Amino acid sequence: MGEVIVITSGKGGVGKTTTTANIGIGLSLAGNKVVVIDTDLGLRNLDVVMGLENRIVYNLVDVIEGKCRMKQALIKDSRFPELYLLPSAQTKDKTSVSPEQMRKLISDLKEEFDYILLDCPAGIEQGFQNAIAGADRAIVVTTAEVSSIRDADRIIGLLETNGIRRNELIINRLRIDMVRRGDMMSVEDVTEILAIDLLGVIPDDEQVVIATNQGEPVIGEDCMAGQAYQHICQRLLGKEVPIPDFSRPEGILTRFRHLFSRQ
Amino acid sequence: MMSVPSVQIAKERVRALVIADRMHCTPDTVEQMSTDIYLAISKYMEVKPEHFDLEITRSDIHIKYTGEK
Repeated sequence: MGEVIVITSGKGGVGKTTTTANIGIGLSLAGNKVVVIDTDLGLRNLDVVMGLENRIVYNLVDVIEGKCRMKQALIKDSRFPELYLLPSAQTKDKTSVSPEQMRKLISDLKEEFDYILLDCPAGIEQGFQNAIAGADRAIVVTTAEVSSIRDADRIIGLLETNGIRRNELIINRLRIDMVRRGDMMSVEDVTEILAIDLLGVIPDDEQVVIATNQGEPVIGEDCMAGQAYQHICQRLLGKEVPIPDFSRPEGILTRFRHLFSRQ
Repeated sequence: MMSVPSVQIAKERVRALVIADRMHCTPDTVEQMSTDIYLAISKYMEVKPEHFDLEITRSDIHIKYTGEK
């Protein structure tokens, strides 16, 4: 039986879709059969971030309305071992699907896939309710900004109310330089407020923009964000990978250590 | 120009917002409630304001005294 993980945030534009794509790819590269589902009806994006926008024939709503079989709607991403995308519908709205229908769809997929990742729309309305309906656990994405943390707190409350208690946090787009000079909340500041387990921290990295421009992942690339996503996938798979301390300035000792390790 | 690190302001703002959201009321109301609880407790025992703290998590309300002997 597969595990169902919803990637959610409350606030828009904090990196849910990029996170879904990169974790999906990472888990697939680790040898799992993965399906990523875009649940944002009317505003589909996951296909674009993954560079699969020209391959859509059928979508999530077509499957639910019985216009096609699941196999016809799933797009296989041939760049990776066993990775599939179920795209959202661009011309429907959030009322065309109910939480019960989502639950049924996901329970069918659970038979066949190791991981089912749900990219949740922003907001706390029906789109959110649909996305979390069949989820076993949640990844809450936030940036270290006031509005984003506030929304994440509400989302965690709503997840708990809906019986989803395995909730983990990703802090995205952390500006290490700003944290060090006291102009951005640190990892500790954010986790102290939200009080859930930390799954990972993704430093702000222009490689994410470059990769997204091209419809490519950052995971597997030799850049800070790529490595952070790699570590997140390893943690999801049960390995213990420490989270680097981003708040402390690099001391003389660590600089020396770098010098030695280069040799 | 910016002598105070802005992170201090951000932390105070987000804390007030999150607590107000958890209580389903405005930050002012939370402040008022906190004061009222403090005053009610002070009727029965001696508590200094700096030793009194009201912590509101997503599922519980904790009242903490830090000045006990």
